[in-house]
Amino acid sequence: MSDPRGSKGSASCDTDPIHTPGSIQPHGVLFVVDEPDFRIRQASANAAEIWNRSIESILDRRLDELTGAGSVESLKKYAAKVSIERNPTLVGTIALDSIAEPARFAVVAHRIDGCLIVELEFAPNRIDASETETNRHIQEFLFSLGEVADARELARRAAADVRRITGYDRVLVYRFDSDWNGTVIAEDRDPGMPSYLDLRFPASDVPAPARELYAKNRIRLVVDVESEQIPIVPSLHPRRGEPVDQSYCILRSVSPIHIEYLKNMNTAASMSISILREGELWGLLACHHRTPRKPSFAVRSACDFIGGLLSMRIASSERTAYLSEKIRLKSIHEKLLAATASADDFRDALVDHSRLLFEYISAEGAAIVQNREVRLIGRTPPEHEVARLGEWILEHGSSEVFHTESSHQLLPDWDRFHDRACGVLAISISKLYPHYLIWFRPEAIRSVTWAGEPLDPDRLDGGLHPRASFEAWKEIVRGGSNPWSRNEIEAAIELRNSIVGIVLKKAEELARLSSELEHSNKELEAFSYSVSHDLRAPFRHILGYAQLLRELEGGSLGDEGRRFLDNVIDSAVQAGLLVDSLISLSKTGQTALNPVEVDMNALVHEIRRELERDLRGRNVRWIVGDLPPSVCDLTMIRSVVYNYISNALKFSRGRDPAVIEIGGRVDGAETIYHVRDNGVGFDMKYVEKLFGVFQRLHRVDEFEGTGIGLANARRIVARHGGRTWAEGAIGRGAVFHLSLPRREYGG
Amino acid sequence: MLKPILLVEDNPKDLELTLLALARSNLANEVVVVRDGVEAIDYLFCQGEFTDRPRGNPAVVLLDLKLPKIDGLEVLEKIKAEHDLQSVPVVILTSSREEKDLLRGYSLGVNAYVVKPVDFLEFMQAIQELGVFWAVLNEPPPGSARLSKHGR
Repeated sequence: MSDPRGSKGSASCDTDPIHTPGSIQPHGVLFVVDEPDFRIRQASANAAEIWNRSIESILDRRLDELTGAGSVESLKKYAAKVSIERNPTLVGTIALDSIAEPARFAVVAHRIDGCLIVELEFAPNRIDASETETNRHIQEFLFSLGEVADARELARRAAADVRRITGYDRVLVYRFDSDWNGTVIAEDRDPGMPSYLDLRFPASDVPAPARELYAKNRIRLVVDVESEQIPIVPSLHPRRGEPVDQSYCILRSVSPIHIEYLKNMNTAASMSISILREGELWGLLACHHRTPRKPSFAVRSACDFIGGLLSMRIASSERTAYLSEKIRLKSIHEKLLAATASADDFRDALVDHSRLLFEYISAEGAAIVQNREVRLIGRTPPEHEVARLGEWILEHGSSEVFHTESSHQLLPDWDRFHDRACGVLAISISKLYPHYLIWFRPEAIRSVTWAGEPLDPDRLDGGLHPRASFEAWKEIVRGGSNPWSRNEIEAAIELRNSIVGIVLKKAEELARLSSELEHSNKELEAFSYSVSHDLRAPFRHILGYAQLLRELEGGSLGDEGRRFLDNVIDSAVQAGLLVDSLISLSKTGQTALNPVEVDMNALVHEIRRELERDLRGRNVRWIVGDLPPSVCDLTMIRSVVYNYISNALKFSRGRDPAVIEIGGRVDGAETIYHVRDNGVGFDMKYVEKLFGVFQRLHRVDEFEGTGIGLANARRIVARHGGRTWAEGAIGRGAVFHLSLPRREYGG
Repeated sequence: MLKPILLVEDNPKDLELTLLALARSNLANEVVVVRDGVEAIDYLFCQGEFTDRPRGNPAVVLLDLKLPKIDGLEVLEKIKAEHDLQSVPVVILTSSREEKDLLRGYSLGVNAYVVKPVDFLEFMQAIQELGVFWAVLNEPPPGSARLSKHGR
């Protein structure tokens, strides 16, 4: 969620060189010295006062001339043991009696850009009695870490301990969100201080350069907002020609904006301790005091230690929560996967298991989009809108996962679905097409309590005037759903990978099946080619020789011998016909349809004329109605109609008269034709057998035939997208129907 | 002298039946039988064992499709690609009406495509009609016979 107030106000502040203020706070002295001779190149102006000599007489001297040989020796020793590179280190404490006002100093040194920076911070004259206390507090805090798992409670204890150790009026634990807004998650305060608990501070309060410094130098001290800043002289390093980089200085002065900010908070002194996680700024321990305050270096280090412990402990408890959630998601993922893998279409599985889908990622609606085909589950926008969203995501989203909590980042008019689809999490199933699984979350209206009413961004143009009031100011945040957690987004990606895997595997299987099918089609073709040549030839030979035999020797055979020979000839003829019909059956599936508009009346007339030649004086009464035309493959449909009519004639052979009635009508999307006869009929029990290959309901000596005609008819009609069926009763005739879908020519 | 009929057939039974059918059609033409595609080419191009045969093209070639070594369609292709042989009528005699063979045959310029009927009596009738048409009635375009007479 972006900061609804924008972050314009911080823009100018972002560019202020706050790491090179060129001055320090007055609670110590800063020297920039050369190594190895410890000659002073720059010094804070207050050195003159402390050593009671002109600043010119200090520059170019060796440091030990001011601080005594012992301090430099111990510094050298320390630097040899510990890396002080960008790491301010307490080298020791020195007491100087020879200066204007004798004092003790904590000596802190670090190296940066090849310069050694030595800071002497005024220290109390005797060992701070509270230091032993401090150790005890740290120990207690350390022990309590094991007992508490709740992050807020841990933070509360840390705040309390830091306040006890440091004595500040108020200690806050401040946590940054992903947009660098900070929320106070814990607080310990003097009752006289206003509470900041649960207040949210905008990202502009801690601008990017300040955050960068917090990450580098974990402790930031402002002793007194009213104190004057001490300049460093000369302002530029004589050799490098640049101001001192004070990123790591403990005495660094405070920017006027920050001073104003603290004053507006009624704070005279502050200390911030950065809480880092994996090098990133996670939050701050912020301490405020109504009067100037300077905890000792040791106390500050103790607080730093507490901050570190706190962040580690919170990290580990969050990690535990994250992992246990991950385990829960994993088990749902497996269930979803099992359901998806066993389904023919993963979409069906997801719709059937929508409960799991919402357990997996908490949402109130979901959709599966495949091009313009959309399946909806739960509360969602309408289908066509979801389809449009799919296309939008394909164009604007990333390849794996897309998520947003605010619908105004989506399509321009998507806002109207804020009650259903304010938050969108989409995983992409295909890289090329808008194929998505999408979860929807409704708008969640939240109230955020800001620390102070946000300023009109236009008034912040100067960026120099932080707001004056930190009174809690409630803002109602709209246009956003509950956020998609990192866990949920990762889970969505995992589910995506699984589904893509399954879809790919299915596609591979299909490709394999289709290549097998192609292969077996080729084999079938080769087989039918071979049958048509190799099987037909022997039948031709049998018939040829038998006919020759009958012709040449028929006279010398007995009656029985001639009958046998006739049977051989009949069988061979029959076998030959069988082979021919089988071949034509197999070709029905192979040849492409050539649909044309067919005049059924003319077709039936022509078939009648051909068949009537063989009727040899049978008494047949034809009743032929007016037949509507059809768009179909003429040759194929002719063979179907021929089969129907020749069957009708065949099975009505014994009738006088045989009545053959042919009719047709348009019925909705179909044209239906029928051929009725008054022949022997059939038992409806066997109706489905009629259309099977080699299925016969009559003995061969009753009615000749190969048993393939109707099977072929059914295949042809089916290829046209039509149906074939029959009705009949034994002894009472039969009627055969065929339907063809109505379509325009070439359609 | 009448030009011979060239019969290309590998199956002995088909051969016998075809020869019987031809005999019954009372054609006076001599029937030359070859048993595979290579022999057919050799005969037509007067090469191999037919190098010394009397010159002259056959009246008609009756060509089976499924032949050893070189198949019928390839023989047809060679005939129709050769200038001196182009005008010799070629009739394909085959066991089955296979769409793609038929199309290929016609695209190569076959003169007739006959599917051998299963019934011998019908087969005989078909052969007789063919023989009469191609060997007797169908006079090849003038030039082809003359050319071959003068040799190459």
